[in-house]
Amino acid sequence: MIPLSHFLLISAVLFCIGLYAVLTRRNAIQVLIGIEFMINAAVLNFVAFGRYDKIAGGGQMFALFAIVLAAAGVAVALAIILNVYKYFKSIDPTKTDTLKD
Amino acid sequence: MEGLNFIENRALIALLAAILPLFSFIIILASKRGGGANLALSGISLSFLLSIYLFSQIWNAAPEHKQLSWFLMGKVQFYAGILLNNLSVLMMVLVSGISVLVHIYSREYMKNDPNIQRYWAYLGLFCFSMLGLVISDNLLLIYLFWELVGFSSYLLIGFWYSKQAASQAAKKAFIINRIGDLGFLTGIMIIYTQFQTLDLVTLFGDNGLISKASIENDLWISGSQNLPEIWLSIAGFAFFLGAMAKSAQFPFHTWLPDAMEGPTSVSSLIHAATMVAAGVFLIARIYPVFNPIVLDVMVWIGAFTAFMAATIALTQNDIKRILAYSTISQLGFMVMALGIGAYSESIFHLTTHAFFKCLLFLAAGSVIHQLHHYCEKNNHEFNYQDIRLMGGLRKRMPFAFWGMCLASAALVGIPLTSGFLSKDSILIRTFEWTATRDGIFVILPWLMVLTSWLTAFYIFRLIFKVFFGEPREIKANKLGLINDSPGQMTYILLVLSFFCSFIVFAFNPASFESSWLWKGFQVSFIKEINYFHWMVPLILNSGSFLVIFLSYRTYVTGKGIKSMEGTWIYHLSNREWFFNEIYNFMFTRTVEKLSLLSYRFDRTVIDGLVNSIAAFTKIISSVADWFDRRIIDGLVNATGTVSGYIGRFFRNFQSGRLQHYLTTMLLVVLSIFILSYLI
Repeated sequence: MIPLSHFLLISAVLFCIGLYAVLTRRNAIQVLIGIEFMINAAVLNFVAFGRYDKIAGGGQMFALFAIVLAAAGVAVALAIILNVYKYFKSIDPTKTDTLKD
Repeated sequence: MEGLNFIENRALIALLAAILPLFSFIIILASKRGGGANLALSGISLSFLLSIYLFSQIWNAAPEHKQLSWFLMGKVQFYAGILLNNLSVLMMVLVSGISVLVHIYSREYMKNDPNIQRYWAYLGLFCFSMLGLVISDNLLLIYLFWELVGFSSYLLIGFWYSKQAASQAAKKAFIINRIGDLGFLTGIMIIYTQFQTLDLVTLFGDNGLISKASIENDLWISGSQNLPEIWLSIAGFAFFLGAMAKSAQFPFHTWLPDAMEGPTSVSSLIHAATMVAAGVFLIARIYPVFNPIVLDVMVWIGAFTAFMAATIALTQNDIKRILAYSTISQLGFMVMALGIGAYSESIFHLTTHAFFKCLLFLAAGSVIHQLHHYCEKNNHEFNYQDIRLMGGLRKRMPFAFWGMCLASAALVGIPLTSGFLSKDSILIRTFEWTATRDGIFVILPWLMVLTSWLTAFYIFRLIFKVFFGEPREIKANKLGLINDSPGQMTYILLVLSFFCSFIVFAFNPASFESSWLWKGFQVSFIKEINYFHWMVPLILNSGSFLVIFLSYRTYVTGKGIKSMEGTWIYHLSNREWFFNEIYNFMFTRTVEKLSLLSYRFDRTVIDGLVNSIAAFTKIISSVADWFDRRIIDGLVNATGTVSGYIGRFFRNFQSGRLQHYLTTMLLVVLSIFILSYLI
């Protein structure tokens, strides 16, 4: 029986990798991949904690919902990235800085 | 009916007579066109006619006194009005009459002057002030006109103001007259303090306040008021000071000879006939105020002035200066006469003197005028007022010559002239008065007799030098170019000559007591001593004839007394007793030194104070400046800079980059976690 802390550790590592990617990548697609990492770290946590709800399987249910939502989010995000590319001729997030003061 | 009332109202006529010249003054000054001769002449002529009418009405009749309320000061009501008595109407006729003659004379004399319009205007102002002076009924009004007379005299002396000497002389006359005015004002204030009124009739009339006031226990008492006795003398001296300055008495005589810088017609009218008589007139008008002490001083001042001016006139070379000193001398006679109480004799002499001195000046003016023309025509430059350069004009200018001779005869007091009547009357009175006095007064009549003889000498010196002998500057063959002055000027000389004869003033040429003018003022202060009445004229005239003969020998045949030139007596006389030098030393230098001192004081102390205050202020302000710049501005700037830095620091967060925002968010969330964990 693999102890819960292993899952959580893996999940935290995944989250940190995702966060790192989000904060440092110079490509919007890679930032998106980082986000997926973080969502999957959360999903891993759902599944790991689903162990305590064997009857209703709430963890797994929420994991499924999260996956679906992530897929929907990716679709939206890719659409946004496409539009950004159309507008800025680049998908480098450091160059899309027109939100500054 | 209205018109009749006007004719009967003599005060109004007098007012009109005085104001007509003022109108001519205003109109001539206001009009742009040059000239104004006709206007001025018609104004003064009308004044003259009105004066004659008043004279016929008032002379030896009841005096006329009309007044209107003028202003209220505290509880004292001041009145302004017109007082016509024998003295006023005589002076009115005298002033306006001589003015008319001088106006006519000036038409020719001043013909080519570019500023002739100003000349006529000023003459109008002068006539107005002089007529106003003689008819005013209170001291304050007299004072106003007194000042106006001084001012118009100033304007006329300085008429040729571009000439340095003329403007200097005008200033001198004005300043010296100011000293006298100060005296007059002091007198007015004392009188006002004592009597609370300045009205002439109330003060000086019969039973006036002055005669009612008495001296008891060293107090001068009038009604409820009293002042220490000394104030009566001070008041007398103060008024006399005013009269001295105006009538050019020693020591204020120095302005009159310098005043000869004005046009000759002006000298004749103002500085010989009328204005200088204002001082004598003032003394006569307020005669009761003078107490014996003041009268004695008056005697000596007058006598000394007469003598001194006569000695100075002996050696002057400017024709007008001789006449000016002669005027001072004659005014001295009048003042002396008033001092001894010879009131009517003094006024009598004032009147006769006005005519013969006016004639002397106008005849001299005629000579000057013709010589000036000669100079201009022939391009021959010389001082045409210097009698040393003249000579031989007798044949060429007979009218001027005979006019001058007649006037000189009157001045000397030769029988059958007006001067004989008036001047000898003064001398007789002097002898009679002295008979009642002793001590130093014994020499007084003899001093006056000596002065008379000197008068004969200097005036005939003038005549012999100007009209006899050979011409000294003009070449003999060119003498034919000089003629008597044109018509109007010569007619005036004739008219004035007539007034120099006895017949105008008395039917009996030998007795001044038969003169209508003398009778008009008959106030007897002196006990008559009969034998003086024939002895004095005898001594005087025999002496005068001798002196004239001596003068003839000296200046025509050259065998008389030797020239005194170079001796100290000559210098004393020629340099006018060094009065100008003494005054220059005593007053001008002192004032200059004082001014220099105050200038230095101003420069060093006042300026130093101001400058050090300024320097101190500068230091303080530079400290304040430093404080302001460094501390206050520093604080403000620091605040600004700090907020700028803070702002820039926070701006950094607004980079617009997604990943920065995210990093920030992460940091904030982490720090909240760490903080909540720590706390």
